[in-house]
Amino acid sequence: MRRALVRTLVYAAALGLAAQAVLPLLWMLSTSLKPPREVFATPPTFVPAAPTLENFVRLLRDTAFLTYFWNSVAVAGLTVLLTMAVGALGAYSLTRFAFPARELVAKLILCTYMFAPIMIVIPVYILARRLGIVNTHTALVLSYASFCLPFSLWLLRAFFLSIPIELEEAAHVDGAGRGRAVLYIVLPLALPGLIATSIFTFTLAWNDYIFTRILIASDELKTLPVGVQDLFAAAVVDWGLVMAAGMLITIPALAFFMAVQRYLVAGWGTGGLKG
Amino acid sequence: MLWILPALVLIGSLILYPVGYAIWLSFLDKHSFFPAERWVGLGNYLKIAWDVEFWDSLWKSVVYAAATTGLQLVLGVAAALVLHATFRGRTVIRALVLFPYMIPTIVAVIVWRWLLNETYGVVDHLLLRVGLVREPIVWLGVDHMMTSLIAVSVWQFTPFVIVSVLARLQTIPLELYEAARVDGAAPWARFRHITLPQLRAVLFIVVLLRSIWMFTKFDTVWLWGEGAGAGREIRTLPIYAYMRTFTYYQAGFGAALAVIMFLLLMAATLVYFRLYWREEEAVA
Repeated sequence: MRRALVRTLVYAAALGLAAQAVLPLLWMLSTSLKPPREVFATPPTFVPAAPTLENFVRLLRDTAFLTYFWNSVAVAGLTVLLTMAVGALGAYSLTRFAFPARELVAKLILCTYMFAPIMIVIPVYILARRLGIVNTHTALVLSYASFCLPFSLWLLRAFFLSIPIELEEAAHVDGAGRGRAVLYIVLPLALPGLIATSIFTFTLAWNDYIFTRILIASDELKTLPVGVQDLFAAAVVDWGLVMAAGMLITIPALAFFMAVQRYLVAGWGTGGLKG
Repeated sequence: MLWILPALVLIGSLILYPVGYAIWLSFLDKHSFFPAERWVGLGNYLKIAWDVEFWDSLWKSVVYAAATTGLQLVLGVAAALVLHATFRGRTVIRALVLFPYMIPTIVAVIVWRWLLNETYGVVDHLLLRVGLVREPIVWLGVDHMMTSLIAVSVWQFTPFVIVSVLARLQTIPLELYEAARVDGAAPWARFRHITLPQLRAVLFIVVLLRSIWMFTKFDTVWLWGEGAGAGREIRTLPIYAYMRTFTYYQAGFGAALAVIMFLLLMAATLVYFRLYWREEEAVA
């Protein structure tokens, strides 16, 4: 009897947890599918009475949403590639060469967490202007990559450490150079770590607001968060349109997350994703 | 050795150099975009000490960081305990619960601004219907802006606590609980004397990271106040530093605010580590 009660309570609590996480997003979906008049209906309808894709059509046809979208994809993608390449090289050398760097890297990570982006973004802006890369995606990719690097080094190092050095030595005996040994033996084994790191990097780049706000001036170079905020800043907010935009930003982020989520927990214990 | 060079170059030039430059800037009187600059020594810091807005924004930051971290901690641990239990559909619910953390901040903000809209918002509609309130609550008005910001931030960031704690819960040896049960320990006693001590280290890290991140949080707060000044009611220190730099173009003043923010965090972190170690020793 008591056992059944506890079970029911646990189940109710679990359902409540799922509901609080998902219902706001379902409400966004519902609104995005409503024609303008129904958006403002009182009392609100929970399931659209006359579902339509009109908001999505208007979003893609009348606004620069698609441009923002591709900008975000390009910036986040390049950030992941750069961070992986530089991070994997760095983390590998942290593990394979005698190097009293463990403590240093750990401290560096904690320190970078304390440097609020607001502290870094002005100097980065001034630096970017000197290098002539203000208002380019290069500036964004470089900023995000260096922001993610301390954490990526830390996480990847843990994965490289778990790979027995004998495997590499065997490859050397077979005549493979260090480069090939890393490429064909170490990297494939460290794949879960690479994926976990790439999730964190991708999320940071995909979600960031402040760097884009400051480094990017031209409309055609803006990424999604800033572009969508501008949609939202219009005098009369077109909620149907804004919710449609919200849906289209959320879907890739969640799809990516669902696809790789089993790798996610790996990175979590070591300090997790900044945000 | 050479392989770590690219990483060091990037970190050095885009994190360490900017931080150093920000410290240098804080001693200058400099326009944010024009090159003219003038050395003022500790002038900016002295101005800040007498600046009412600074003290106000510092207080708002402390309130925001303390309230959100505290709530995230309590709710996150409770949720993790629930999700640690065995029930059907657990894997799915565990993934769903992470959604608020995985969606971009801009989405969390627009969704909640819509849910809390004073005229068409579904939250006020439900509250009215159930009869909890007589008139719609203006969530984004001056009176409730900080409350609603805290609520949204807790919604968005609690999953981080849930996942961190859940990961640790799964590694607690079951024998500990079996032994306690044999000794006749009640559920609360088991939580108090087994689960909590085992969670100590992870909670230490979670509180550290969450409070640092909430104290320096920019985008959620900025977007919640619709940018452009972010409403005086929620003008926390990062927002104030941003405004000084980009609204008043006082780069030196803004940099000094950022440096103070960093020093405060450093000091708080050191004290926090000290306290933790002292406790550790007391326990051991």
